[in-house]
Amino acid sequence: MSNEVKTVYKSLGLCGFGLGSNSAAVDVKDGKILRIRPMHYDEKYDMEDMRPWKITARNGAVLEPKTRTLPTPLQYAYKKRVYSKNRVPYPLKRVDWDPEGDRHPETRGEAKYVRISWDEATTIIANELLRIKETYGPFAVLAQIDGHGESKIIHAAHGCPGRLLDLLGGYTLQARQPDSWEGWTWGAKHIWGMDPVGKQAHTENLFKDIAENGDCVIMWGGDPETTPWGWGGMMPGRIESFFTEAGIKQIFICPDLNYAAAVHADKWIPVLPNTDAALQCAIAYTWFKEGLFDREWVEAHSVGFDWFEYYIMGKEDGVPKTPAWAEPITGVPARQIKALARYWAKHAVSIGHCAGGGLIRAAYSSEPARLEVCLLVMQGLGKPGAGQINFMDLGLFGIDDIYPLPRSECQPDMNSVYHGWAMLTEPVNFIPKTLIPQAIMNPPVHWSGGHVIAGMPAQDQFIEWDFPQPGAGELHMIWTDSPCWQTCWNGGNEMQRALRHPNMEFIVAQHPWLENDCLFADIILPTTTKLEVNDISADLFSGQYNMILHEEQAVPHVGESLSDWEAVGEVAKKLGLYEQYAEGTEDELIKKGFMNSGCQDMISYEEWMEKGYYVVPTAKDWENDRCHLRGWYEDAESERLSTPTGKIEFYSTALAEHYPDDVERPPVPHFVPYGESHQESMLHPRSKEYPFLLITNHPRWRVHANNDDNTWCREIETCKVVGPDGYAYEPLWVNPQDAVRMNLHDGDIVKMFNERGAVLGGVRLSERVIPGALYQDHGARVDNIVVGEFDRAGANNLICPSNTTSKNAPGEVTNSFLVNIEKVDVFALAEQYPEAFSKPYDQATGQIAEAVIIKEGE
Amino acid sequence: MKVFVVDVAKCVGCRSCQLVCKDEHCDNDWMPYAAPQPDTGQFWMRVDEKERGQVPKVMVSYTPVMCQHCENAPCMAVAKDGAVYRREDGLVVVDPVKARGQKAIVEACPYDAVFWNEELEIPQKCTGCAHLLDDGWTVPRCVEACAHDALLFGEYEDFADMLEGAEALKPEASTAPHVYYLNLPKRFIGGEVADLEADEVIIGAEVTLTNKATGETLTTVTDDFGDFWFKQIDAAEYAIDVVAEGYLPRHVEDFVSTVDRDLNIGTIALYQA
Repeated sequence: MSNEVKTVYKSLGLCGFGLGSNSAAVDVKDGKILRIRPMHYDEKYDMEDMRPWKITARNGAVLEPKTRTLPTPLQYAYKKRVYSKNRVPYPLKRVDWDPEGDRHPETRGEAKYVRISWDEATTIIANELLRIKETYGPFAVLAQIDGHGESKIIHAAHGCPGRLLDLLGGYTLQARQPDSWEGWTWGAKHIWGMDPVGKQAHTENLFKDIAENGDCVIMWGGDPETTPWGWGGMMPGRIESFFTEAGIKQIFICPDLNYAAAVHADKWIPVLPNTDAALQCAIAYTWFKEGLFDREWVEAHSVGFDWFEYYIMGKEDGVPKTPAWAEPITGVPARQIKALARYWAKHAVSIGHCAGGGLIRAAYSSEPARLEVCLLVMQGLGKPGAGQINFMDLGLFGIDDIYPLPRSECQPDMNSVYHGWAMLTEPVNFIPKTLIPQAIMNPPVHWSGGHVIAGMPAQDQFIEWDFPQPGAGELHMIWTDSPCWQTCWNGGNEMQRALRHPNMEFIVAQHPWLENDCLFADIILPTTTKLEVNDISADLFSGQYNMILHEEQAVPHVGESLSDWEAVGEVAKKLGLYEQYAEGTEDELIKKGFMNSGCQDMISYEEWMEKGYYVVPTAKDWENDRCHLRGWYEDAESERLSTPTGKIEFYSTALAEHYPDDVERPPVPHFVPYGESHQESMLHPRSKEYPFLLITNHPRWRVHANNDDNTWCREIETCKVVGPDGYAYEPLWVNPQDAVRMNLHDGDIVKMFNERGAVLGGVRLSERVIPGALYQDHGARVDNIVVGEFDRAGANNLICPSNTTSKNAPGEVTNSFLVNIEKVDVFALAEQYPEAFSKPYDQATGQIAEAVIIKEGE
Repeated sequence: MKVFVVDVAKCVGCRSCQLVCKDEHCDNDWMPYAAPQPDTGQFWMRVDEKERGQVPKVMVSYTPVMCQHCENAPCMAVAKDGAVYRREDGLVVVDPVKARGQKAIVEACPYDAVFWNEELEIPQKCTGCAHLLDDGWTVPRCVEACAHDALLFGEYEDFADMLEGAEALKPEASTAPHVYYLNLPKRFIGGEVADLEADEVIIGAEVTLTNKATGETLTTVTDDFGDFWFKQIDAAEYAIDVVAEGYLPRHVEDFVSTVDRDLNIGTIALYQA
């Protein structure tokens, strides 16, 4: 049977941004995907040439790469994404949108679609682009072209429209926020610098150091068994298992017993959502009170430590931040806080993350982020076995300094042929992603926080900015290739209203799947998945070996889809700009990509093409790389941090200079329960009406909004809760104590709501969430009952706060916010909203494309 | 003789095994080994998930379950015309042609590992990926996909060392399965010992657990957080005794039962002597 089977290699991670990962071998037969399986590194190369590495713990436990790639469940089930009933089958036009007449912006999200040809669709888009440019200027076009999607390079999932719009004279860019690490950006950078991300910027050999010298890793909100599945593979979970074997204690501090905690935790310290800052203050208090730190060392490495002590000990506000003070705020018993503080002071403790965790994407996330650094520094950051470690995004932005496992000889670089938007370019006219609804509905918009783009240096945050820029006007068109704003960002209901705004004359979306923001578009172009294209890619985040892949096309295009690059190319043809747009043929670009990858001298182009992949060996001398912050730990003068003073700034000199009166992000980090921007705290009177804090992490069976249509994931009993009406609702975990009080039972359908709207959820009684908190994954596909108000699918971003991190920090706030719940009768709702409850629905897939398409003859 | 080894302690519940099984068998025709599996509803490899304990002593156990490829296979016993057969390597396979209409094969399985295909009117189950093994693969899809080595497959002799304490999934079924389980979840009791007057945890307290029926005892010491754990204990009624220097001893036995569930006993308060 092998003879008829062709095998191609694909990096199937969903990071996007030109960064591939989670590689798999795809076996193809008769033009269909037969199976998706791990690649065996040694299938075409000798293992020895890859220089297998090994980390050995004190007790002899060994961590080493496997001889095969470690795709995650999401990749193994990817066949179902390619052949989903939710694929956009052909170009579509909203039935009541007439570019020559009435455009009916007010029916977006409700109106159905009719089939049109590619020729018709691209003609309309080209004409609209020219008309809008003529009428309002090029900046009237908003390009939403960033985001986590398939890791295609030439056929980039996100960014191709920008290339064409550039040729047309520019556009307004939706600026990509540091969404997974808002708190680090807006907070931590002001205490320890650590550009570009704000997390520990030197993590060379940190896992080795922990294995050899560490006693404990505190996972503070991170979930290595879920968050990395998108693009971090299974290595983060394997590292956790290794720590267990090595006798390294794993303490999880989080309101929910996340999936890693459920199997790896030695101890779970549940904390009420987004009260971590109070817990951190109380730990610091214990250290001050009991003298459990090296003051001389801390003072040699920092400035403003006395200011911090002044605040913690209660001199500033008369409230000493004692464990007893923190107990009712956090829900953590004071004795446990003291025990944690004392344990920490006696052991080599690191803090682990998977990008951020809920606290880093909640209101005032700058504060717990900064306070975490305070704690790390008070216990000798950089000493043997102690640092801050990210279990994913290894070597992000191509930076070896933040590669905490044994380093590869190189990180193959795809930038020479990546057609996506480059994160660090400086656009002329832009809007932070968090402020899009305001920019559409209520311009002008003014903000502090500079370019708001992931990876910009801290100083950039002090630039005040306006939209529109001088000479640019309001927005009248959107071109999106990442149509999931409303189910991924802050204040989705407000975004739905913005998309219906009369100013918005034309919205075009291109996407493989008919969901979320697509349903508000006027024209929808069907695009391919990466299984359907010929491309090049690099596997960068496996934690095992880096690879550069020639990704042959596996299967024919599904339906009438074209790749994102090709789809925009069709529009370019209509505008006579194709040649400037395309910059070469696919084959030429693959060769160019290889020749500029950094691997071109390691293997010949011909051999690489023939074999389909190349495994970059581990760096020869990785063990001699610097040991993260050890040198700085030993001598503060040996290295300048990227803060203004070059030291740890317990008192941020830059914040004090620029925002001396900002009580939401004061110069010294504080516990800020509520304020001018947010009232998402049990300490605020709003909590009487909305008595639960919702935790909404990155989902287990999705990557943000990706994969919600996967039949094999949806049938997993913990993935959805099937209601009495047969609809698969998004699970909502309720602690049995709360459930008893509210007379809720397993399987009940509830409405979860606040002033910003409501979504439904299916109750799952669970001890994995603490009383007072609720848990629901984010990213369910929007299924509106009432647009802008009420959703059936549990797309809880719709009811997130719209306001940003804090007054002067324009980050997203998408976790830990107040809600209430009440049981609903879905049959009564179906009577009240007959149209919403009678859409065509596929039991296995959920919402399907045909539900919104008017068939010919209908 | 081929066997599977399932180490439940290593399973993280990712369900890669379950999903690659579907990837291999849904919409793929492996006749004569297996007919295509329906897209949803059948789990030739499934993962049973069990949430255990109460806040904050909670954990989740995941147990991968597939056809146990039993030596005394009840499905084989009820099958007519040799519709279920054992291969030379020990794998038990349902013949999709001969088994047509034989629903009894589904009902005979004590592990709920055989499924009825309504459309094809056949019983279906794990084949051990026999079609792949015969094509040169050394392990089935599920085993290859497991990143945590919780699933192993090979000759019995290769694993003999680790199988000493191995168990059957359902010993009472007495089917002599060729799937060996390690660390199947039992019960746990966890708790905290504290001095509530001082509002301090008590570190180093000696905690003794007594099985009230058998009189057997286990002893542990509270850790840096005042926590203690007894893991992999029997479902039974227990008594707990706590002794710590400077404190009055404490005996607890009301509601200390793991008969129905794993138990976070909560905080056991000690009083200064």
